[in-house]
Amino acid sequence: MRGAECLVPEWAALIEAVIAASVRAVAESLPAWRQDTTPDATTADWDDVKLTRRGDSEAYRRLIERHQDRVARMLWRFSRDRRVHEELVQDVFVEAYLSLRGYNGKAPLAHWLARIATRVGYRYWKEKARRKGTEAFDLQEWDEAVGAGLTTGALEPDHAGELLHQLLEQMAPRDRLVLTLRYLEQCDVVETARRTGWTKTMVKVQTLRARNRLRRLIEQSGTE
Amino acid sequence: MNWEEKIERLAARAQAERTPRVDVTQSVLHILASGEAQPLTAAERLWMWLAAAASAVAVPAATAALILYTRSAGPLNEIVEAISWAVR
Repeated sequence: MRGAECLVPEWAALIEAVIAASVRAVAESLPAWRQDTTPDATTADWDDVKLTRRGDSEAYRRLIERHQDRVARMLWRFSRDRRVHEELVQDVFVEAYLSLRGYNGKAPLAHWLARIATRVGYRYWKEKARRKGTEAFDLQEWDEAVGAGLTTGALEPDHAGELLHQLLEQMAPRDRLVLTLRYLEQCDVVETARRTGWTKTMVKVQTLRARNRLRRLIEQSGTE
Repeated sequence: MNWEEKIERLAARAQAERTPRVDVTQSVLHILASGEAQPLTAAERLWMWLAAAASAVAVPAATAALILYTRSAGPLNEIVEAISWAVR
């Protein structure tokens, strides 16, 4: 009985490896995946990833320290509540650790983390949207603030980010995600597809729909 | 200035905004060390794959069964069955 128990994980690992290899083979044969021609991970990152997989927590500490500012900057687009923001950054690194086996070093670690950060941020928006409706928002007031700030040129970058965040908060999570990536993160179609896991066609369609919905929202308020 | 120009200018301005500094190193390492979050074991991953494969098979099978049932249980089909001897 004990022998049988020992064998199960081995068989499980073997079967899992075969399935994973098959899935990888199929994935690599798809054109969208083949276009991932990003440069390799930096040597320092790759070395630390390998050490982390062997259980070296110091290596993972170095990885976090190296990448947390970039991840934090990205997630500031998803929540401007400092407590939530910190939790999201934390979730990214916990999730990254748990799926570190799946990182193959073909793309820079920063790109891989950006994908995880997008997923974590998007999930947070979806949960938030399920929990409650959007907060009261006066588009007329928003438009006046934007108009005044832009014409005088006195609009601070932080305030500009806040205003954009308020507006995009009125959109559904899916629309908000694509508009945030395209406008704020300045991602092109390929990068948006990479971060969201959508196809390029889907990104284009989603961008068009989201922009139309945003235009309608603004037109309905009578500010245009 | 139309709405899109406004948004583009806001976005350009927002590029220079400051992000609050966070340091999650300790908290992440603490969560990982305490075992609150652990990677799936090989057996768990195998079950996950099996569940996904079973779902992938079950959904088309259920759809096909439903289609066949609705076809065979239709009123027209019952009439045809009833007079099948005449057709023969």
